[in-house]
Amino acid sequence: MNALTPEVSNQSLFFLIIFVIIPLTLSYFYQLGLGKNVLWSAFRGTVQLFAIGYILTYLFDLPASVGIPLMVGIMIIIATFHARQKGKELPYVLPVIFVSLLFVEGSVLTMWLVFDMVQFRPSEVIPMSGMVIGNSMVAMGLALERMKSEFRDNNGRLLAALSLGAEPKQASHLIVQRTLHAALIPNVDRLKTIGLVQLPGMMTGLILGGVEPVMAIKYQLVISLSIFSSVSISAMFVTLAMYRYFFNKNKQLIEPGD
Amino acid sequence: MFRFEKVSQDPLVNLTFTIEKNEKVILFGPSGAGKSTLLYLFNRLSEPDSGTIYFNGKPIIEYPVTKLRKKIGLVLQAPHLFPGTVLDNIKYGPSLFGEWEDKNAETLLEYVQLPSSYLHKDVSHLSGGEEQRVSLARTLANSPEVLLLDEPTSALDYQTAEEIEEVLEGLIKEHEMTMVMVTHNLSQARRLGDRGLFIMDGTLQEDGTIPDILDHPKNEKLLKFIEG
Repeated sequence: MNALTPEVSNQSLFFLIIFVIIPLTLSYFYQLGLGKNVLWSAFRGTVQLFAIGYILTYLFDLPASVGIPLMVGIMIIIATFHARQKGKELPYVLPVIFVSLLFVEGSVLTMWLVFDMVQFRPSEVIPMSGMVIGNSMVAMGLALERMKSEFRDNNGRLLAALSLGAEPKQASHLIVQRTLHAALIPNVDRLKTIGLVQLPGMMTGLILGGVEPVMAIKYQLVISLSIFSSVSISAMFVTLAMYRYFFNKNKQLIEPGD
Repeated sequence: MFRFEKVSQDPLVNLTFTIEKNEKVILFGPSGAGKSTLLYLFNRLSEPDSGTIYFNGKPIIEYPVTKLRKKIGLVLQAPHLFPGTVLDNIKYGPSLFGEWEDKNAETLLEYVQLPSSYLHKDVSHLSGGEEQRVSLARTLANSPEVLLLDEPTSALDYQTAEEIEEVLEGLIKEHEMTMVMVTHNLSQARRLGDRGLFIMDGTLQEDGTIPDILDHPKNEKLLKFIEG
């Protein structure tokens, strides 16, 4: 890959503040009360990105066998705690999310390396793993939230199914189906319109960095399909592992955490 | 058939009574008295905090729970049909046990006075009364020994409620079946039940034949309830 040729200078970066002032002004005129939030998010995002920039520079200089496990491990831990927020009342949610992410990242990384799609270099594995872990984290969070609301909204149907003699697995079949559907559909839609509605971030970055579009597309395909499959696996993992905690050992419907 | 021995589960306290086979029992009492809770205890959708419930002489906890629920059918206040057709709903219970036979479908619809053309109708196109009939047919499809009814007409308009009541009356007369029904409607209780249990403040206040307890209530609280 070619090195990034154009460079955004610090002065140019400073003018990005205009993009912050616009929502700030909107919030002020329409009394949205988002001013503080907008400022804090912009500030936090900038600091986070610069921090990760310096960390990545340091990690990329480390031997791959140290830098990759270290950063991927940190990403998995942070993603686990973040996704857990969506289902903290459910027992064992933390280990389930952690194991799912570990499994998904492990499988994807193995595929990349075995089939020579990606080199075992921090500069390649870390950003791509970040995308896989991040998307899986969002999908698991979505799945947990959706599952909780489906159980709440379908209480009567679940009682009806149980009263007819259904096992918890049979009674919650529809809920599991809807949860997986809701968690996967944004990803399916994204894949359907890839390249038509928007050029994906990674591909855009590579093209801006001077890489041939066809080469950029190949990388994008690797990452898009990896995300597609890891999101499906992680949403399925967390849904199938967690639905049973809405029932007790007597096959009665319960409010998890009670 | 059923024996409740010192059964407690909020708000119910120390309930003890027996229900014989083929009895038609009406549970009544003010809202929040624990009538629905009591129905859920019958087929183990809920567990008592203390006490024992016997079914055919054996504690219900000794039965495999799914088989027990199949024997003790429950019709909920709202129909809560599953997405799909009327047939999908009716065959749901028996299919769980590998016992469904297509030839039963029309008979079940006949029980609830729905034409057989309804079998392949999507449940989203049914009226409230039709939904409740399908819910009833869905429960009957399991051939339960006991039918539990949780205010099955309370969410329906007067005319539809009367139609469902007719269906129930026909079913009760035709089939030898034990029935336990929760209702606020005293005239419905007179028509469908032969024994009444009046529950208030979590306890069984009065137990007797329907004409006896409705026409000659001994309990002050029951008298107030009847006078409404």
